[in-house]
Amino acid sequence: MQGSATRPEKGRPSYGVIFLGLVILTAIELGISVLRVLPPLSTALYLLFSGLKVALVAAFYMHLRQDSRFYTAAFVLPALLLLVFALLTIAI
Amino acid sequence: MSHQAMQHAEDFRAGHALGLDHRKLGMWLFIASEVMFFGGLISAYLHYKYTLGFPETTDLNVVLVGINTMVLLTSSYTVVSALTAIRQGRQGRFAALLLLTILLGVAFLTGQLYEFADLYRQGVTLTSGVFGSSFFTLTGFHGLHVAVGVLWAIVTLFRGLRGTLNAEHNMAVEIFGLYWHFVDIVWIVLFTQIYLIV
Repeated sequence: MQGSATRPEKGRPSYGVIFLGLVILTAIELGISVLRVLPPLSTALYLLFSGLKVALVAAFYMHLRQDSRFYTAAFVLPALLLLVFALLTIAI
Repeated sequence: MSHQAMQHAEDFRAGHALGLDHRKLGMWLFIASEVMFFGGLISAYLHYKYTLGFPETTDLNVVLVGINTMVLLTSSYTVVSALTAIRQGRQGRFAALLLLTILLGVAFLTGQLYEFADLYRQGVTLTSGVFGSSFFTLTGFHGLHVAVGVLWAIVTLFRGLRGTLNAEHNMAVEIFGLYWHFVDIVWIVLFTQIYLIV
């Protein structure tokens, strides 16, 4: 990789396995929606699955798992700030 | 100038001074600003959703948008596979995967336009109420980002075909990939907040 601080890759699942995981999680979400599972269970499951999907894409497809932690901070810190803002907006 | 200082200057020019590539760092900082941009829009949507209630969300076609979500997830896979291909010097495979990404991006946009047209037929428009305004602003801006990504993918494909991207020089592909995956992540969040949690 050109000029990036990349840590050694160990035990990394293949991109195909990650893709399969993303598809399965999305299919489960659609299943929950079609079966009309009621909140709060459905809400908790949707948040859990979407969080997992975001983590999978960021960690493996965007290479945050093996790249410099600086990049992770650049992505996660604004996201945490956003979470605080979003919770505040809902609470107001 | 000491040898150490000269080495540092050389590393800085090469983009290694912090152990980080400057172009990649720039892209990550841009993504950080985009997190805040979409964060503002999502916060506004959630605020109205929980204070006013959005009965219109029951009119949304979750299955159609679910298929569109699969399309975007597939495009993320093709982009990361294209990056692997160019790093291995497999130019033909790289071009084919990037072309597939472009087609998937166009398919996503077509699905989104179909959904927008359907909602307009049902009377949900940009000016019909708070739901219409916040929904079309949020999903419209995301669609605009996908459209920019498609144009970027076309430019990257042509660079690959001209031979300026290869096994040694492929940072442009990685940076494009970061943008595309981020747009995918935004959609994962939007799909959950707008279509699934009603």
